[in-house]
Amino acid sequence: MENRIDLRDGFLKQNMVLMSGMLIAPVIACATTLMKSLAVCFVFSFVSFAAILVCRFIPRTIVYTIRVTLYTVAAAVFYIPAALFADMIFGEAVIKAAGVYLPVIITNSLILSKTETRFYHEPQLRMVSDVIGFIVGFDLACAVTGLVREYFASGKIGGAEVPILFEVPALETTFGGFLFIGILAGVFRGLYNYRKSRAAAAAGSSDEESLAEYAEDMGEFLVGKHSGQKEKIRIYKAAVRRAMNENDLLEMEFLNNRDVLAAFEAIVSEGQELVSGESGTVTESSTEQITDGQQEQQEKEPEQQSAEGPDTDDGTSDGGRGETAAQETEDGNGSVS
Amino acid sequence: MEVFLNIVSTALAAIFVQNLVLERALGANVLLYASRRREHIIGFSAAITYTTVMASPTIWVLDTLLGSSSIYRYVMPLLYVLVVAVIYIVTLVVIWRFFPHFFKSLKKYVHLSVFNCSVVGALFLCSQQGSDIFAYLGYGLGNGLGFLLAAYLLYAAAGRLNSSLVPAAFRGYPIMLVYVGILSLALYAFAGYSTSAV
Repeated sequence: MENRIDLRDGFLKQNMVLMSGMLIAPVIACATTLMKSLAVCFVFSFVSFAAILVCRFIPRTIVYTIRVTLYTVAAAVFYIPAALFADMIFGEAVIKAAGVYLPVIITNSLILSKTETRFYHEPQLRMVSDVIGFIVGFDLACAVTGLVREYFASGKIGGAEVPILFEVPALETTFGGFLFIGILAGVFRGLYNYRKSRAAAAAGSSDEESLAEYAEDMGEFLVGKHSGQKEKIRIYKAAVRRAMNENDLLEMEFLNNRDVLAAFEAIVSEGQELVSGESGTVTESSTEQITDGQQEQQEKEPEQQSAEGPDTDDGTSDGGRGETAAQETEDGNGSVS
Repeated sequence: MEVFLNIVSTALAAIFVQNLVLERALGANVLLYASRRREHIIGFSAAITYTTVMASPTIWVLDTLLGSSSIYRYVMPLLYVLVVAVIYIVTLVVIWRFFPHFFKSLKKYVHLSVFNCSVVGALFLCSQQGSDIFAYLGYGLGNGLGFLLAAYLLYAAAGRLNSSLVPAAFRGYPIMLVYVGILSLALYAFAGYSTSAV
């Protein structure tokens, strides 16, 4: 799985704000002006980069309960110089206006979760570039949010008046932030999916193949974790090829092993409904006994089933791929902040 | 009686007027995770409430003793995290020792519910808004219950938000944010609405 980690993941595919929904509180509530959003970006970048570098070397022999505490403490220690520098760069007024949203950066998922589930597994140099990818992805999303919200809410950019046709004052409120980030995330996902499907079409591969490849990875991982369930996993993999979509994969980022299995079971049920809707031969109770022949037969009808699937005709592909398996640890931990 | 009313009124304000998630966006992504299952809603809300209430007296002491120091706002996150960490570890050890079965089910997500910005953010809000120890306790309690309210409202709509009626690109995370935004807008009815441009 390690070889499949894509260094562009953090920037695009798993963008913390627009795709994965990690550390969105400062972006929603605090990134209402360009200066405040730049302050958030600075503190986030400083704290996350330094803390991850240090946390990477905390031995995994320490129990997770203590490890996760050490991660947070490390981040809180690095927050001290970050806040001092931010005061000097942006001025005390901006930092005070940012309020509680700068300190809460110390509990961000990049430190608490990705260190554990992703960065630990990478060689050091690769890890550094991977971390930078995630940080740049967050910073760009946060800065653009601050810029757009300030412009449309007050007709200013960086505090300077600029011409504007109409104002949307509500953009500077929390609900405006929720709505803005939600719409931005949807548009970003739509564009990303469209671009991926175009690239896949140009390369001669289909979304189905991408999903099948992902399912293969997931299957291998799950088989490794649940060796007694090989047959079940094989059926899951077949079902995933038809029913899985990118957003589901991204959602899985937060799940633990048991939840992943539960999610796969839900997908299997969905696949079964599709199959039974077409042929009336496969029932829920019999699915776990599907033979190779039946499975191949089901796989020969992907287009038919995709057309009835929830969203396989929209160009969704493999977002979040290669990460979910790595997300799981012996504790089944993920993290949210 | 006055103390009790003080705690209750502060808690109500924290639930409806200054809701941790809907008005402050703190813990928004925890909310997205917790709202998937009813057990998670209860578990997360209980953990957040427990941690903030337990930590409130200690951070009140810290704020009272060190609040006037010029460097306090830089070291405050570290102190708060240490307080939360001690509560987290002690509680887990006690549960592990006396309720091993409960510990097994708890350990999968307890760290998620303790080390996140809803807990740390709630403590900072206590510090900002609270005037005495009872206000701190009230805010701690109200923030946890406010999270419960927000999570339940999202849970109630989760099925529709993830249905095929929603465009695929918006399904899941984006549409949930839009929905929480609308809930947040509704909650502004309690707090009032003003912007610098108005």
